[in-house]
Amino acid sequence: METLISWAIDVALVLLVVSLAWRALASTDLFKAIVLFIAFGLVLTLVWVRLNATDVALAEAAIGAGVTGALLLAAYAKLRATSPDAIVDRAGGISGIGAISLLILILLVAAALGYAVWTLPSDYAGLGKEVAANLDQSGVSNPVTAVLLNFRGYDTLLEIMVLLLALLGAWSLGITIPRPEAAPGLVLDTLSRLLVPLLILVAAYLLWVGAHAPGGAFQAGAVLAAAGVLMLLSGRELPAALATWPLRLALVLGPATFLMLAVITLILEGRVLKLSPEWAGRLILIIETTATISIGVTLTALFMGAPPGEEDR
Amino acid sequence: MSVALFYALAGAGLFSIGLHALLVHRHLLRKILAVNVMGSGVFLVLAAMAAPNAIALSDPVPHAMIITGIVVAVAATALALVLMLKLTAETGQAVLPGREEENS
Amino acid sequence: MTDVWMGVPWAVILIVLPLAAAMTAFVWPRISQLLVLGCSLVIVLAVTGLALQLWYHGVFHHALGGWGAPLGIELYADGLSLVLLAATGLVGAGVSVYASAYFSVEEKRRFWPIWLFLLAALNALFLSADLFNLYVTLELMGLAAVALTALPGSRDALAGAARYLFVSLLGSLAYLLGVALLYHAFGSLDIAVLAERLRPVPAAWVALGLMSAGLLLKTALFPLHFWLPPAHSSAPSPVSAVLSALVIKASLYILLRLWIMLFGPFAGDGVAAFLGLLGVAAILWGSVQALRQTRLKLLVAYSTVAQIGYLFLAFPLATVASWNATMVLLLSHALAKSAMFLAAGNFLNFGGHDRIADLDHIVQRLPLSAFAFALAGVSLMGLPPSGGFIGKWLLLEAALVQGRWDLAAVMLLGGLLTAAYVFKVLGKSFTQADVACTYQPKEIPARMQWVALILACGAILLGFGGTPLLPLLEIGVPFDGSGP
Repeated sequence: METLISWAIDVALVLLVVSLAWRALASTDLFKAIVLFIAFGLVLTLVWVRLNATDVALAEAAIGAGVTGALLLAAYAKLRATSPDAIVDRAGGISGIGAISLLILILLVAAALGYAVWTLPSDYAGLGKEVAANLDQSGVSNPVTAVLLNFRGYDTLLEIMVLLLALLGAWSLGITIPRPEAAPGLVLDTLSRLLVPLLILVAAYLLWVGAHAPGGAFQAGAVLAAAGVLMLLSGRELPAALATWPLRLALVLGPATFLMLAVITLILEGRVLKLSPEWAGRLILIIETTATISIGVTLTALFMGAPPGEEDR
Repeated sequence: MSVALFYALAGAGLFSIGLHALLVHRHLLRKILAVNVMGSGVFLVLAAMAAPNAIALSDPVPHAMIITGIVVAVAATALALVLMLKLTAETGQAVLPGREEENS
Repeated sequence: MTDVWMGVPWAVILIVLPLAAAMTAFVWPRISQLLVLGCSLVIVLAVTGLALQLWYHGVFHHALGGWGAPLGIELYADGLSLVLLAATGLVGAGVSVYASAYFSVEEKRRFWPIWLFLLAALNALFLSADLFNLYVTLELMGLAAVALTALPGSRDALAGAARYLFVSLLGSLAYLLGVALLYHAFGSLDIAVLAERLRPVPAAWVALGLMSAGLLLKTALFPLHFWLPPAHSSAPSPVSAVLSALVIKASLYILLRLWIMLFGPFAGDGVAAFLGLLGVAAILWGSVQALRQTRLKLLVAYSTVAQIGYLFLAFPLATVASWNATMVLLLSHALAKSAMFLAAGNFLNFGGHDRIADLDHIVQRLPLSAFAFALAGVSLMGLPPSGGFIGKWLLLEAALVQGRWDLAAVMLLGGLLTAAYVFKVLGKSFTQADVACTYQPKEIPARMQWVALILACGAILLGFGGTPLLPLLEIGVPFDGSGP
């Protein structure tokens, strides 16, 4: 009975996820497509929970559905303001024989993928054993955090760089996303006064708890970004004095600290990012704290579009 | 069929749906959504097989890879959206110009 | 002295330095130009240092975090990495100097940090032997390349960049799905560890297909080249140079590594023959298209499509000599093609257009750039003495030894077609334009002309220095199929 219910939940979740994705990609109304896509992300969060990937679930809710959704909606608003013509998605592009051969090709790809997954050897446990065996040397007890910041910390260093690079790319193109022109209503204003401190607290908690339970810098950074976006929406601007180099310093704080640690460990330990077990816990907390601040500021800045103080070019 | 396999197959399905939409649709916003759905499909394959059965210890390495992948995806999405807006500001439309328009 | 030189972790410097410089340039734009030029110099120095280390100590390993594969990530360098790092160092330095004169102050403020990220991503990619880490570096490189392509903000540049972005993301995701399948089938992300465990299960075949398709798309091998001409021709000229010289080689590098260490023995002759066939098609199609172009930068971009084809002829030949030929061609194409794009950029800036028919006595007006274009053309054609000659000669020899007359014929035909499109440009640059000259010629800084010429000379000099350098390529014997 229990397995039956469990299976029913799994089947329902998968059907929901696939149908939401399908409808998001097929709906003629782009606004509806975005909303369906955000719903897709939220249901996917449940899937991660089902698959015992709680860290991923938090990241998906905060970044995959949350930040991405906010970025999509903001871009949609700007698109509508730029050119009413641009928000209409005329069907077409490919039709006739092209469309049919494309469909056949994709069905072949899908069949090959399905077959490959179906025949995967089921006896393999990946690197779970190695991670478990070295976990007590890593400085944290949450295995995902251990992989992200210690065993494969170099990946994470580069990944934070990717985020910073995306912002530099966005800034080099320079498009501001218009903020609501009317003064924010009383509700939004009060809400932001209440929520912003709360969100900062949540971010701090996620950061702290990441060492031994699901959570960590990326999830915390995204929550911090939510606070930033809320402040932008309620009409609060970054003071001009902070918008120049202090902002840029906040953006590179995390990546620079991480990179500096790479150099220091190379000099002291002979290996890049080798964290000695007695220090690892504290070092990871330092990296994560600075990274959280930078990630939060970067995501908020991505939402703004152009560097503060610059108009559309 | 195990639960893990079921979810992994769903991941393969999402990848294929996204691939189809990416190639068929011309609107850039739709292409951006399609790429994100494809990415989620890959992540689902990664996560589903990380816990092949209920007794086995679930493998944290794919989970870490997915979190990295999600951050890379949001970075790429942000850049793609700005590019789309800038192109729209230039051309009035959020689609890639066709081959023949480009050569003119 | 030697001990100090040998003890420096040059490989790490190649990654850390440009990353640190990128962030510094972003926070403190005023010193960014000095930073970039200094950084480029140190990169060239570091590649030299790494080459010496490889020469005396063999392949380079660095276990990041001290864990080692399969739990951790390892940096890895052998002869193959070295060639691509050298190309990055040389072309990168040239483009840095060129860009310092090409862009306005305002443009440079935006250009430098992203440019440094691109250099860091390329170096990191060529030093990685971990499948997932390669994915991250691939994305870092791809996003930087797209941002640089879009920099001018013109309609063409934006459209080219947008198409490039989606192609790049599609390629990366196909690659990543292949990585996911391999990880779940064999439990590792390290290429060397995977090589030991690989068995011919369906997942391995599908992974091979997905990863190859994704990487071939990013490398722009015919018929997946459709995105390259618009992106490479509409980008700012220094960026075009880097895209054609280095960025497409990055995905090719991963493909070569995977093929030689992982899939080659197991995929067999059929796949290799197919890749060779695509190479042949690329040479013919790309050359004919280049010949048909009326715009100079598009011609040079299609020439890249054709030259990529040569790099795939080694797959069916599959001898150590043919792989070495590919390495020489990689390096000589990087130098010659960057020189050609920079020279084309000078013509474009000078006259305000790049219509081949109206080049209008450019030889007398920009003699250094025209000379650079011609020298680069010599190397692309494969005429002696040039790096292109050595590479194509070695490849031809390998084809003849194996009785592959068809491949040899295609190589020669490709050379003739290359000569035809190079002379098409040079011919027009001597003659009077049909329409009277209406533009105000812009002064081209000497730096921009000299850089193009020096890079072109590099491609020629490789013809003299290429043969003695061959043993360097064999460090770690990347091509005998036994793995690291």
